[in-house]
Amino acid sequence: MSEHSLIDRFRGRFEGPNTIGNSRGFWVGFAVALAVAFAYPIFVSNYQAGNLALFLIYAILALSLSVVWGYSGVLSFGQVVFFGFAGYTFGIVTLNIQSTVGIMMAIPIAVGVATLVAFTLGYFMFYGKVTGVFVAIITLVSTIVLQTFMAQTAGSEWAIGKAQLGGFNGMPGIPNIALGVGETSVAFSGKLFYWLCLVLLVLSYFGLRALTNGRFGYAMVGVREDEDRVEMLGYDIRKVKLTVFTVGGAIAGLAGVLYAAWGNYIDPTVFSLTFATFPVIWVTVGGRESLLGAVLATVSLEWFRQQLAITGSEYALVVVGLLLLVVVLVLPDGIVPYVHEKAVSAYREYNDEVDRSVGSSTEEEIPE
Amino acid sequence: MVNGVNLFFQFLDSFGFIVLSAIGLAIIFGMMGVINLAHGELIMIGAYGTTLSFNAGAPLLLAMAVGVISAAAAGLVIERTIVKRLYQRPLDSMVATWALGLAMTQMVRIIFGNSLSGIGLPLGAIQYGQFSYSMYRTLLSVVALVVLLGAYVVFTRTEFGIRARATIQDDDTARAMGIDTDRMYTATFVIGCALAGLTGALYAPALAVVPGMGSSFLVEAFVAVVTGGTSVLLGTTLAAGVLGTANAFFTNLYGTFIGQVAMLIVAILILRFLPTGLSGVVETVRGQMERES
Amino acid sequence: MSDGLSSRRGFLASSAVLAGTALAGCSGGTASSSDAVTLGILEDRSGNFALVGDPKHKASLLAIEEINADGGIMGNEIEVFDPDPQSDNQRYQELTDRAIRQENVDALWAGYSSATREAIRPIINRNEQLYFYTTQYEGGVCDKTTFAVGPTARQQLGTVLPYLREEFGPDIYTIAADYNFGQLSADWVKVLANENDANVLGEEFIPLSETDFSSTINNIQEADPDFVMSMLVGANHTSFYEQKASAGLDIPIGTSTAMAQGYEHRRISPPAMANIYAGVNYMEEVPTESNTNDGGFVDRYFDMYPDAPYLNEEAETNYFSMYMYKEAVEQAGTFEQPEVIEALESGISLGTERAPEAPEGQTIELDGATHHVDHHMWVMKADEDHNIEAVENRKVPETFLSETVGCDLREEAEQTQYTPVDYYQEAK
Repeated sequence: MSEHSLIDRFRGRFEGPNTIGNSRGFWVGFAVALAVAFAYPIFVSNYQAGNLALFLIYAILALSLSVVWGYSGVLSFGQVVFFGFAGYTFGIVTLNIQSTVGIMMAIPIAVGVATLVAFTLGYFMFYGKVTGVFVAIITLVSTIVLQTFMAQTAGSEWAIGKAQLGGFNGMPGIPNIALGVGETSVAFSGKLFYWLCLVLLVLSYFGLRALTNGRFGYAMVGVREDEDRVEMLGYDIRKVKLTVFTVGGAIAGLAGVLYAAWGNYIDPTVFSLTFATFPVIWVTVGGRESLLGAVLATVSLEWFRQQLAITGSEYALVVVGLLLLVVVLVLPDGIVPYVHEKAVSAYREYNDEVDRSVGSSTEEEIPE
Repeated sequence: MVNGVNLFFQFLDSFGFIVLSAIGLAIIFGMMGVINLAHGELIMIGAYGTTLSFNAGAPLLLAMAVGVISAAAAGLVIERTIVKRLYQRPLDSMVATWALGLAMTQMVRIIFGNSLSGIGLPLGAIQYGQFSYSMYRTLLSVVALVVLLGAYVVFTRTEFGIRARATIQDDDTARAMGIDTDRMYTATFVIGCALAGLTGALYAPALAVVPGMGSSFLVEAFVAVVTGGTSVLLGTTLAAGVLGTANAFFTNLYGTFIGQVAMLIVAILILRFLPTGLSGVVETVRGQMERES
Repeated sequence: MSDGLSSRRGFLASSAVLAGTALAGCSGGTASSSDAVTLGILEDRSGNFALVGDPKHKASLLAIEEINADGGIMGNEIEVFDPDPQSDNQRYQELTDRAIRQENVDALWAGYSSATREAIRPIINRNEQLYFYTTQYEGGVCDKTTFAVGPTARQQLGTVLPYLREEFGPDIYTIAADYNFGQLSADWVKVLANENDANVLGEEFIPLSETDFSSTINNIQEADPDFVMSMLVGANHTSFYEQKASAGLDIPIGTSTAMAQGYEHRRISPPAMANIYAGVNYMEEVPTESNTNDGGFVDRYFDMYPDAPYLNEEAETNYFSMYMYKEAVEQAGTFEQPEVIEALESGISLGTERAPEAPEGQTIELDGATHHVDHHMWVMKADEDHNIEAVENRKVPETFLSETVGCDLREEAEQTQYTPVDYYQEAK
């Protein structure tokens, strides 16, 4: 009896009306998919594992926007700002302290910087009563300012310690993530790096599931649906938005660190308008109000775009554009909620049929 | 040291550029709430229409008319097929128009190649002392004012304009009063696209005509639209004035990079401290003055 | 709730996505066959750099076709892995990784901008991949497996600046794109001005996104130099020439970037490019036998690509570097990359039967120590009708790495980029 309720209590933290997938069927499917994801590198080369790892990193970035936009209604183009700040900070710290200790220090410092930037930008906006599309525009403008600024930090005077910002050419030589000290240190590259990214992605996903299904999650969704009512219930919506925005910044920062370590390089294109739009695209296609949708859409979209680029076809970008257009027009809630809805209603229909066939036989037995 | 005459010309140039970049976007966003991320591509279509006709032999003004019409036609198609389904979903309209812009840029690249032969800048230079300034670019600031004035007249003095504004303010009532609201939305969108096409047509002689050329207008357009605030025309004018001054002043002193950054910082400050935008401030002041009198 | 119509549409949409994904999956994962040599050509055919990247791709394919028609390299036919990186550095990283670790390319040509080169260099260095970087660039890359065979800023500016100093006088005003390449080129202008008894009156750096040059034009008028050195880059900066002509600014301009890469003299109406002097190793108009004669490089290129708009500077570098590679492989007798690199370092000359001379001139040489090329440089002038005339030409060796820095990759394997500020006082 107590074992049953333990699992239920555990599950209860991660389930609720705010996220897709609350049934046993869902969790079984999820476990299978996760097992496949963990097993993937065993069957493929280092290159393919490393390649998929990049998409997992993007998925973490998408999660950061999903929680901010999908769950709190704050459309932010600025996730890439925090992503980039963390990546650059990671590079700066590791290039200055060239050891595994340096790397281990750099990770929390970089995420911390991203969180701080998010907090500052969020405070500036939400406590200044900036709302709706104006948040989108301010975050958009900040990415442009950062890109223009970073692109001209080319000279040797633009260095923080031993790390040259590098301007348009970027900052190369960023090391892989490594944990441990001296002899016992482990560097994460190839398959190990893939597993690291996968673990972090899963942790972020579950963390956000818990957040959105808890009391705070209801406040978030309330802010998205009807700000005034939530305010009248006594919540300080500015604080809610700021908290979510900061959390989103931290997660985007984590993705940024992984990204810098993946390519051993970072440059101002992470602040570009194009890249700033990608998280919006990923989350829209996946389903704005779905964490799982954000993850699945990001990985499939990026993989698809990469395949198109490999073909070298000049129609690659046209296909991508038209595909997005179709999805937005036809599936307004995104692909994953649509698929989920279909699956759930199909399952219910199946159950109804079973009940009906069972019921008809029982009816005959009722004496009349 | 700031050179006064230079600064004046540079301000006019910046003002004209911002107004012309923003006006099409401002009308579509301000009146319909649709964020048209394909705005840059519509400018590009205007420029391509103009350049292609000019290279085929048409005189410049006719070529520009062709550019405007091409953009308007594109706008019509886009509105009828895509945008009209997204009026209640402004954020989705953003994604849809972005995707469309991506496809359009690449299609133009496939069909017309990586660049077109350019049109030369007409009208020569204004000489003053050791300096000179392009007459054409100075003229563009005048054109910008004419466009603003024209839009004002159309939307306040003509029947069409009044009906359009009625539709946008309260489309149920407008429909109840017999206005064909669908056509109003379409017409407004097409006008916005035509104005974007006009921008492309006007700047085609001054810029390299390449498929990605629209993106150089986007920053100024968005920033101006948002700092302008709730009133479309007044907002665009004020935004162009304030941002243009910041840009010209700092460029004159410190160079184009600082000028750009200064303009963006001014925009962020306006957004932060004047949430209703510049035109919102004017309207508040006007309201106060009316109350006091 | 979904009605019949929208659920059908929804079904169609999601099945389209799935089908597309599945189809795309079928085309992925091609490993090279072991008895052919695979070369990676990663050049932009869409995005910001498509204008200059496309000719590079075409010229590489031209060289490969010629070599294959002639029996290949050591009897092996060349296969090509040539996806489109879409002017996107992240895409470059992904595709370079794939080219090296999945397609197992024997040599790689990739990238237009220096940023791209820097983005993929970690991957190249990690895998010790033989890599040819063929764009003109700021110079200074001393890297064991990288062969930067395009002209350096010092070579280009060092050709045109002294010529203009002689012709017009000592006062210079520099305008450059506001990023690494522009800033480093401006440093080189200062060094060269010092070496040629000239003065730099002022420098101006313009962001890559800028399209309005009115203040720049005013600044030039105020400074009143004898000539301008222009290192403007990209489509947005092309408008400078248009606008300066319209403002009546009639001063001679020396450049390393205009005309040769983006063929502005064909795209912009005359006389906007009049009195522009390009210091380059190659332009389509370079008057050498192997280039402009019947059956020369220009003819062969346009035979293969009749709709191509122009044959630009980088295309020629892609072309001759392919022959250098062939020559090195045949000298080494193997495709193994360390041996081929050794052969390249022993000195390669073109103009033999198996490696015809470069279209830019007969005397070019690959300097084994620095992995750079001693180019045959030209000063190409555009007149009022945008006709191009060669007013000077000579061989200009690469001197920064070989003489000033002392980079010798045969002795010591490095992976560094050097800049002039560290070696020249006047560049600061």
